[in-house]
Amino acid sequence: MMTPDEFRAQYLASGSADAPLDQERLDLIREVLADGATWAEPPPHVADGLLAALAAESVPALSTVPERGSRWPLVAAMAGGMVAVVALVLSTISVLDEERDTVVAMSGTELEVSASGEAAVRSTDAGWWIHLDVTGLPPAPEGKYYEGWVWSDEGEGVSIGTFHLRGGDAPVVLWAGVPLAEYRSIWVTLEDEDEGPEASELVVMTGRIPEPAEG
Amino acid sequence: MKAVYDRFGGPVFAVSMSILGEHGLAADATQQTFIKAWRAASTYDPERNFGPWIYAIARRTAIDLYRKRSRLVVSDEVDLVTFPPGLETVWEVFEVRSALDRLPDDERQVVKLSHFDGFTHVEIAERLDIPVGTVKSRSHRAHRRLVEMLKHVEEA
Repeated sequence: MMTPDEFRAQYLASGSADAPLDQERLDLIREVLADGATWAEPPPHVADGLLAALAAESVPALSTVPERGSRWPLVAAMAGGMVAVVALVLSTISVLDEERDTVVAMSGTELEVSASGEAAVRSTDAGWWIHLDVTGLPPAPEGKYYEGWVWSDEGEGVSIGTFHLRGGDAPVVLWAGVPLAEYRSIWVTLEDEDEGPEASELVVMTGRIPEPAEG
Repeated sequence: MKAVYDRFGGPVFAVSMSILGEHGLAADATQQTFIKAWRAASTYDPERNFGPWIYAIARRTAIDLYRKRSRLVVSDEVDLVTFPPGLETVWEVFEVRSALDRLPDDERQVVKLSHFDGFTHVEIAERLDIPVGTVKSRSHRAHRRLVEMLKHVEEA
C-alpha cells in the first residue's frame, strides 16, 4: 500500500492518479514544472559581471573597510555556512596608485573608433587587478555584452571578466589570474549571449602593457 | 558570493524570467538582486532562512524593472503603474527551482523531459538511450524527493 507521499509523488509525476487531498497545490507545482521560466538558466556572464560589479563597488568604499569586511562573512553565513567567499573582494585595494599601478593606454579599434581610455594594472595577492576606465564605448546592445581578455604573444587569450556599460561610463574592474608578463595585450570584445565562451572576432578596444608588470 | 550565487542564482533567475519573460532583462534583474543583497546584508537576520529573504529582493527587483519598461505616463500628474502577470505563482517558481537544483542531474533531466518537454517515459528512454525501467525509477525517485522538498509549499 502506498504511503501518502508516494501517492503524492505518483500524482505529481503523472497527474493521472486519484486526486490526493492537496491536489490543487500539486497541480500548481505541475504547472510550474511545465513553465519554461522555472528551467531557465542564467547566462554565464551574469556571475562574472556580478563579481566584477561587487569588486568595483568595493574599490571606492575603501574608507569603510570594517563595514565591508563584516558583510562578506554575513553573506556567507546567510547561505547556510558556505564560506567560499571570493578572496579577490576581500583584498584591500585602493583606487589608482601611481606607484603601484602600470597604466595601459586603451584605444578603440575600427569597430569603435571613438572609444579610448586607460587600464590600470596592479598585482595583488588575489591576482591581477585591472581597473578599466573608458569613454566613447557605447552600452552593449540587448543580448550582447563586453568581455575583457588578456592575450599572450603566442595567441592564447584568457577572459578577465564581462560588463555591459548600460549604466553609463563607470570604471570596470576586471581580474586576471595569469601572469601579465606573459599576457601583455588587453582586449575588449563584443560578445553575443547566445554564443560560446571563446572570444568573438569583434575586438572593440586594445591596449598593450608597456613592460612586464610583475608583482 | 560565488557560493551564494551557485546556490540561489538559478532560483533568482527563474523568478526574474517568470516576471520579466525576457532573457536579457532577467539577467540584469538577477545581477541587481545579488548586488542589492550584498548591500543589504547588514539587515539580514542570520536566524532566518536565506531563501525567502533573497526571494523578496528578487521579486521586488524584477517588478521594478518590469514597471520601468511598461510604465504608462498618461499626463504629468498621472502615472499608471502596471503589475506583471502571473505574480501569484512566483514564489512557487522560486521554491520549485530551488528543489530542482538539488536533484541529482540524471533525475533532474528526466523531470525536465517529462514536465517541460512533455515526453513520455518511452520517449525519454529512447532519447537518453536507456531502458524504460531506468526512466521510471529515476522519475519515481525524483518525484519522491520533490514531494519531500516541496512539502512546505504544498502546505502553504
